[in-house]
Amino acid sequence: MTTKLMGQKVQRVEDQRFLRGQGRYVDDVAVERDLLHAAVLRSPHAHARIVDIDVADVLDVEGVHAVWTYEDLTGPMSEPLPLLIPHPDLTHGRTQYALAKDEVNYVGEAIAFVVADDRYVAEDAVDRIRVRYEPLPPVVGIDAARAADRLVHDDVPGNIGARMEQSVGDAPAAIKAAPHTLTLDLTVERSACTPLEGRGTVARWDPDLNRLQVWTSTQSSTGVRAVVAVKLGLDLGQVDVITPDVGGGFGVKINHPWPEELLVPLAARALGRTVKFTEDRREHFISSAHERGQVHHIEVGFDDDGRLLGLDVEFWHDHGAYTPYGLIVPIITSTQLLGPYKPQNYRVVFESLYTNTVMVTPYRGAGRPQGCYAMERTMDAIASYLGKDRTEVRSVNFIQPDEFPFDQGLIFQDGRELEYDSGDYPASLEKIKALVGWDEFPAFQAEMAAQGRHVGIGLACYVEGTGVGPYEGAHVHIETSGKVKVATGLTTQGQGHQTVFAQLVADELGCSFEDVEVVTGDTRRMPYAVGTFASRAAVMSGSAIHLAAKRAKEKVLKIAADALEAAPEDLEIVDGVVSVKGSPGSSIDLGTVSVLSNPLRYAFDEASKAATQFSVGDPGKPPVPEDEEPGLEGKDFYSPERATFASGMHAVIVETDPETAEIRILKYAVVHDCGHLINPMIVEGQIHGGVAQGVGGALYERMAYDESGQLLNASFMDFLMPYVTEVPDGIDIDHLETPSPLNPLGIKGAGEAGVIPSAAVFAAAIEDAERVGRPEFTVTAMPISPSELFALRQEHS
Amino acid sequence: MKITGSDVIPFPVTQVWDSLLDPQVLVATIPGCERLETTGEHTYDMTVTAGVAAIKGTYAGSCALSDLVEHESLVMRLQGAGAPGTIDATVQVYFTEPEPGHTRIDYDADAVVGGMVGGVGQRMLTSVSKRMAAEFFGNVGAAIASPSLAVAAPVGAMPPGERSGMPQVYTAPARPGLAPSPDFAKGIAVGAGLVLLGVLAGSLRRRR
Repeated sequence: MTTKLMGQKVQRVEDQRFLRGQGRYVDDVAVERDLLHAAVLRSPHAHARIVDIDVADVLDVEGVHAVWTYEDLTGPMSEPLPLLIPHPDLTHGRTQYALAKDEVNYVGEAIAFVVADDRYVAEDAVDRIRVRYEPLPPVVGIDAARAADRLVHDDVPGNIGARMEQSVGDAPAAIKAAPHTLTLDLTVERSACTPLEGRGTVARWDPDLNRLQVWTSTQSSTGVRAVVAVKLGLDLGQVDVITPDVGGGFGVKINHPWPEELLVPLAARALGRTVKFTEDRREHFISSAHERGQVHHIEVGFDDDGRLLGLDVEFWHDHGAYTPYGLIVPIITSTQLLGPYKPQNYRVVFESLYTNTVMVTPYRGAGRPQGCYAMERTMDAIASYLGKDRTEVRSVNFIQPDEFPFDQGLIFQDGRELEYDSGDYPASLEKIKALVGWDEFPAFQAEMAAQGRHVGIGLACYVEGTGVGPYEGAHVHIETSGKVKVATGLTTQGQGHQTVFAQLVADELGCSFEDVEVVTGDTRRMPYAVGTFASRAAVMSGSAIHLAAKRAKEKVLKIAADALEAAPEDLEIVDGVVSVKGSPGSSIDLGTVSVLSNPLRYAFDEASKAATQFSVGDPGKPPVPEDEEPGLEGKDFYSPERATFASGMHAVIVETDPETAEIRILKYAVVHDCGHLINPMIVEGQIHGGVAQGVGGALYERMAYDESGQLLNASFMDFLMPYVTEVPDGIDIDHLETPSPLNPLGIKGAGEAGVIPSAAVFAAAIEDAERVGRPEFTVTAMPISPSELFALRQEHS
Repeated sequence: MKITGSDVIPFPVTQVWDSLLDPQVLVATIPGCERLETTGEHTYDMTVTAGVAAIKGTYAGSCALSDLVEHESLVMRLQGAGAPGTIDATVQVYFTEPEPGHTRIDYDADAVVGGMVGGVGQRMLTSVSKRMAAEFFGNVGAAIASPSLAVAAPVGAMPPGERSGMPQVYTAPARPGLAPSPDFAKGIAVGAGLVLLGVLAGSLRRRR
């Protein structure tokens, strides 16, 4: 009897390849000898008018095949890149051109594109392009953007791309009437996804088939396919996009098309040669995307128990020079800020602002870390003000388990109601308190203080809308060998999709796990798909794959029932063999069922003989019954009404050095509720990765722009990321499983959760540690380095 | 970025001032300077080869002096661009004589450094710039001390009288060293600033 694989810690099938160096990334494809390589000339100025571009010195360089500037682009390629997610409040959305036209708005903006025999020649050629710029004053940082005495785009007054307001109840009135009020100003700096593999694109034009094949390191193959077709004037059917292994995405690769994703195919078609672009690290820093930079002003009214009566939040979002991804990040902050709480009266207003810096698109967590930080800092401030335990204040504000579904009365990032489907926040709180030792901590803190050591504890709660629509689909094909080929359209960046999706198929179909092969992100195999973002792959494609496997199974049972002369409901499938329940002798394997599903005229091997016309079929009926198709396949799509809401709580104990202000993590605990777990090991891996990235975001990473818009730390030499030595050795994890009612598997997303509460939880713990002897000590800006902590101490002493 | 610093040259301010306004001296003393061309009064085009860490390259740029207060101060505006990056700097240069026969030069540069140097090498720029400035002032001191050493000569030299209004091109001498020729068209000051153009330096590559 096969045991259910759902919920099992199944070893990742991908790791054999990855650990042996057999992963196949974009840079590994197309190794043919006549491959051409591209390099890009990028703006050294944050803001400048382009007076003149002189490429005369380039063309006679041996090995250079072509150079493009804006002047060479025609038709749709000469139009600005698409604004992917329009919104009525994005009144002044702007996107860049594939190659800059007249003006550059950030250091790194693409200006010219050179294709040569190899990257060395291409880069040398780039160096020979002479551009005359007329530098313009740059707008750097939220303060400068708000001051608006300089504009990023002349036609965008006040540098304001969008202003959006949402509210429930009457927050200002409720705050006015509240017995207690507080005001907080909180800042979060910029960071970035920084995947190990940067962007990369390879394109090959096939003149025999009149088709374009594109390999690209993206989070949306179908999105890239659609835009390549439109921009190059091709029919959708002429373009295939394949996403091979991806060495990390974390959000940055959901934005598309990057200029190179269009220019590489353009060059491949123009030159009739395969062309490759592989981004280098510096290019990734200055020409991909960042996130996180926001400033928040919060006013809150509450009662004696700390119960929220009114919450009024205004924040300013730095979206960089362009807005290709619309308002998704600030909308998520503005809605997910509410977390597990019900403030009764809530108003949120944000302005999304232009600056002369790299544009902003979602980075793992996508606006939630800032929202969580804003809300949880507020909870801590209320507790401190009332002299109450921080968990008590949270408790009185929780949405209770019997209140689901709970409608927050706002519109979420997918255009649908912010309605939480399920959760159990009081239970999570009990678990996290037990896991971190919340109640025992004061004694520990006193004991440490007696030794001259400063330790502090922090806690942060979040709710994460996961698995947003519109849909994903899946195709399951049982071959005559008995092997099961599964395809889903969204892409994989290391999450272990091949493993978890195979688990789902093996469970539903009754085949062996080893016989399942999963393909993702290949538009030839599944042309209808959306992409991998918003912790949606397991929910969306997992559900679609489950449904498609179910359809395939129905067909298996129908055909097997005929062959075994039994009723379908009397059959079971175990380890790839269909048999009549209770009489194991009467059986047929999946491969044979597949043979029978496809009536043949021509045999090609022993198995196929069984399906030829003199072997099978009722001569009185058509070989393929009406309403049926040949082949043993199932295809289905999953499209939920709305997102499903995962939740969790993190707690951390830190120690701060009284002399050096070094911050050390003593204990990190996570309680996580993503509904039913498909593979607990993979979920825990996601949490580990998220926590590691969160540690980076809270304590190390920032984008150091100087006032002229130069990114000063555009290398791994200067951009601090945590090593394994900075990530807590043990992360204690406990799971709570409140199943989602919105999908057949009862699952919720888990990919981003680990990073969401980091800024909040570290700010809280550091503050707690520093309050020993400094009761007014407050952390309002994250990330925080030892130097900044040291400076804060001076301010408070 | 802001770079401030100072150096002391063990010669009187009159001598130092003249040396720093002399393109023949400059081309030979600016670390990495290969070529200097006068383009007008107090303005020059120049070519400097320099590098910060692994980012080496040749920069083409210009330098203009203004607000000259003899033996006291001047303002230098520098612009340069090359494959490794760009620089746009305004440098205030002050001359004082803390003790007789010694000139103290204080420089205060406000520079915008772009391109790869700006992003990758900026962390090292301040120290590199100061090191180059020190090297430069050391060279100037050496030049004043040994005027007999090889001097940069104008390419296609013309009699001094015919120089005015005509571009003059200077290339670096085979060996460092030079003599001041105070009668030359007012040149540059340089100090920190010029060095900034080459700014960048880490290891500089001298021609020849």
